[in-house]
Amino acid sequence: MNPLLDQFLSESREFSQGIAAKLLQLEDAPSDQGVINELFRLVHTLKGNSGLFTFPEMTRVLHAGEDLLGLVRNGQIAYSRELADRLLEAIDLVMAMCAEIEATEQIGGSWSQEAVRMAESLRALMPAVEAEAKTSIRTPLPAPPVELPPLAGIPEAARLEALRQCHEGETVHWVSYAPAPDCFFQGDDPLYLARQTPSLLWGSARSAEPLPALAELDTYRCLLEFHLLTTASREELDEHFRYVPDQVRITQLAPSWLADPEAALTESEAPKAPAAERASQTARPDQPVEEQLAALDTILTAQFEILQLEDHPDWFAGRLRAVAAVLRNVTRVAGDPNTAGELEAVLGECLAAGQGSLLRLWLEASKEQLISGHAAQLPGASAPVTPSSQRQAEGKAYPEPDVAKAPADEGIKFGRRAEDSPGAPRSLKVDQAKIDRLMNLIGELVVSKNALPYLAQRAETQFGVRELSREIKGEYSTINRIADEMQDAIMQVRMMAVSFVFQRFPRLVRDISRKLGKEVQLVLDGEQTEADKNIVESLADPLIHIVRNSLDHGLETPQVRRACGKPETGTLTIRASQEADRVIIEIVDDGKGIDPAIIKRKAYEKGLIDEAALERIDDRDAVNLIFAAGLSTAEVISDLSGRGVGMDVVRSAVEKINGTVVVESQLGKGTTIRISLPLSMAVTQVMIIESDGQLFGVPMDNVVETVRVPRRSLHHIKQSLTAVLRGRTVPLKALNTLLGISANPKLNSYDELAVLLVQAGGEVVGLLVDGFKETVGLIQKPFGGILSGLSAFSGSALMGDGSVLMILNIREIV
Amino acid sequence: MPIEFKRNQAVLHDVVGVEEAEGLLEWLQSKPAAKVDLARLRHLHTANLQVLMASRPAVSAWPEDRELRAWLEPALKPMP
Repeated sequence: MNPLLDQFLSESREFSQGIAAKLLQLEDAPSDQGVINELFRLVHTLKGNSGLFTFPEMTRVLHAGEDLLGLVRNGQIAYSRELADRLLEAIDLVMAMCAEIEATEQIGGSWSQEAVRMAESLRALMPAVEAEAKTSIRTPLPAPPVELPPLAGIPEAARLEALRQCHEGETVHWVSYAPAPDCFFQGDDPLYLARQTPSLLWGSARSAEPLPALAELDTYRCLLEFHLLTTASREELDEHFRYVPDQVRITQLAPSWLADPEAALTESEAPKAPAAERASQTARPDQPVEEQLAALDTILTAQFEILQLEDHPDWFAGRLRAVAAVLRNVTRVAGDPNTAGELEAVLGECLAAGQGSLLRLWLEASKEQLISGHAAQLPGASAPVTPSSQRQAEGKAYPEPDVAKAPADEGIKFGRRAEDSPGAPRSLKVDQAKIDRLMNLIGELVVSKNALPYLAQRAETQFGVRELSREIKGEYSTINRIADEMQDAIMQVRMMAVSFVFQRFPRLVRDISRKLGKEVQLVLDGEQTEADKNIVESLADPLIHIVRNSLDHGLETPQVRRACGKPETGTLTIRASQEADRVIIEIVDDGKGIDPAIIKRKAYEKGLIDEAALERIDDRDAVNLIFAAGLSTAEVISDLSGRGVGMDVVRSAVEKINGTVVVESQLGKGTTIRISLPLSMAVTQVMIIESDGQLFGVPMDNVVETVRVPRRSLHHIKQSLTAVLRGRTVPLKALNTLLGISANPKLNSYDELAVLLVQAGGEVVGLLVDGFKETVGLIQKPFGGILSGLSAFSGSALMGDGSVLMILNIREIV
Repeated sequence: MPIEFKRNQAVLHDVVGVEEAEGLLEWLQSKPAAKVDLARLRHLHTANLQVLMASRPAVSAWPEDRELRAWLEPALKPMP
């Protein structure tokens, strides 16, 4: 899922809960202006957010809610329990939409009708004047009864085609689309929308009322309405008209309705006499009696069979009504008012019970009666009654259109609550403190787990029980595995994609490059790379500094670039990737690069390097001097960068999270700044060393290599001790001396010294120690209280045997 | 221009947008006996349709686009 949508969903959920909470708060204090304001703000924000996506249904509901709350806020209407109920229902609807979005990443068109009704129910609470002012309201609640489509207007060919489709199992919908009068101003073209209706069979444009004379015609007021006949499904139609759901009315047509245009004609302006004539064709009085009775028998048997069919729940109601409509007509022909009453009662029961068996039983019982009753009425038996005259007598001579899923029948089902909908949110928000606590606990578990090998050793050496020792080791390996996995899992919880930081750059780069009059294309790469939350968060500031610097000093203006033969648009690439247990962030620009000569000169002028260094330093190292404090190369100090703080801040921020930053630059080609960060700060890899019988930890990030140097290959240059290692001279320092311990470094049996080569601020220094131990992953704890002043150590960690290991801060002591 | 106004005939072609409606209305008002030629019309905005429906000019040629013609013919046929 796209991250923006993801965020929208999680925010929406939060807002919805906030809205619900505020509404409940208002129940206790209905006049609290602060709460009302807050409520308004929440709904307003949520509406605005929903507008970012194509969720018109959601926006519609929220817009109505916002309007309503706006009135409450201005004191135009008072808060009431009913109002709160409606708003809560609206929020539940929004939540249900969110659930659907979460599952499918879109809102189905089926929501639109519900959204319209909800919006109208909210607007219904507004004072009348206010309601009329809103042009979008056309029909107040309740939903209008289903109108009979004026079938007379449909040309014969289209009607027959629709009927054919209907018999082939297609659903035929009648759409009545009455565009809002001001719709042209909203950019709508109703004719276009109508023409684009999926699976259109027939359509017509007509004016709702006679059009005014040309002189009075307002070109920009839509007076037309459209009637369409389509075989598209309800969902397709809802989708197609999703932006104007309040302007369309969609009715499903049953075949019987399409098949009986005569009946429709009797309703409309068609002359009565031909209608009667045509109607009588279906049951001609001059038909032989037997034939009529046989036909009646066939009809009833068919209905009986229909009722026996296996039924689909969705179709059931429609089918039942279809059967009922036929039976109703039959009873009418048979002319038995009692039977008709009975039929209605049975039909009602069937619909309520949701099964057709009752109607079937009734049909079985009354079949004979119906036939005999009809026989009695046939000519010769009594006064001839033509069906058509009877029709007119009863007024309702046509089969009712069987509206399979008439929304009006179901009423408004707003009773649903968000909690009812399945699918709880997949993510949960957890306070960071709780995760940190977990982290601490797992740290303790790791430490106490590490005590087991010592215990095993003691069992063997001190008490001489090897069996027990082996068992303890076995248990240890199990616990070790679980603890490792657990640690990993907790780590995963804290992981976050760097896109969190990256996402602000497009805007930042755009704004800054505009300001500087430069053309810059930003390329983001590897946004999915993950790292610990703290790392990612602390990355934000350094990255902004670097990007600003690149834009300000690195990339040139289009004119300069053109002169250099480069494309006018510069490219700034921010790339994240993972390398083993580190995250690498590269910021690459194709600008003018850094001139090492200028940097050297500046650094010398500012006293950052001495004359000797000025001569000795190579270009690569010179470029990295930009990270030294107090160096700025820009000729002018702009409001963006150039005060000589930027890159220095970058370095210290990166180092604070155990990262490193280096810069590579080619004059005229561009600059690459590479930041390397640990994936997680939780576990530090530490090498344990021994000196004067004590154990110390050295972070692996600082360790270059461990060597043993024969005593005779040490050299004294002035006061300092040096050795030539791999062709370069390395200064050596005794750890004991650095820590103020008076003992000398110990030599091993081959007369060699243990040298730990460490990197400290770009320099490699050899530390003389007594011995090397293993490398362990530790959870380092910073010093607290009075110990926090100890700069020689960066922290401490608890070892498996319960002892405390001090971690050296190499940069400080060397 | 999607509408070509000739001496006594307006020729609509391609897609006639909403902004043309005002001009069409004025022209038709000034020439009550004018004809319209829709042969090469592919779509016209509802506002134009409304103007045509209100003025009911004689149609000298119906659109070649059969689907559009099916929409326009019933709407623009002379009143009985």
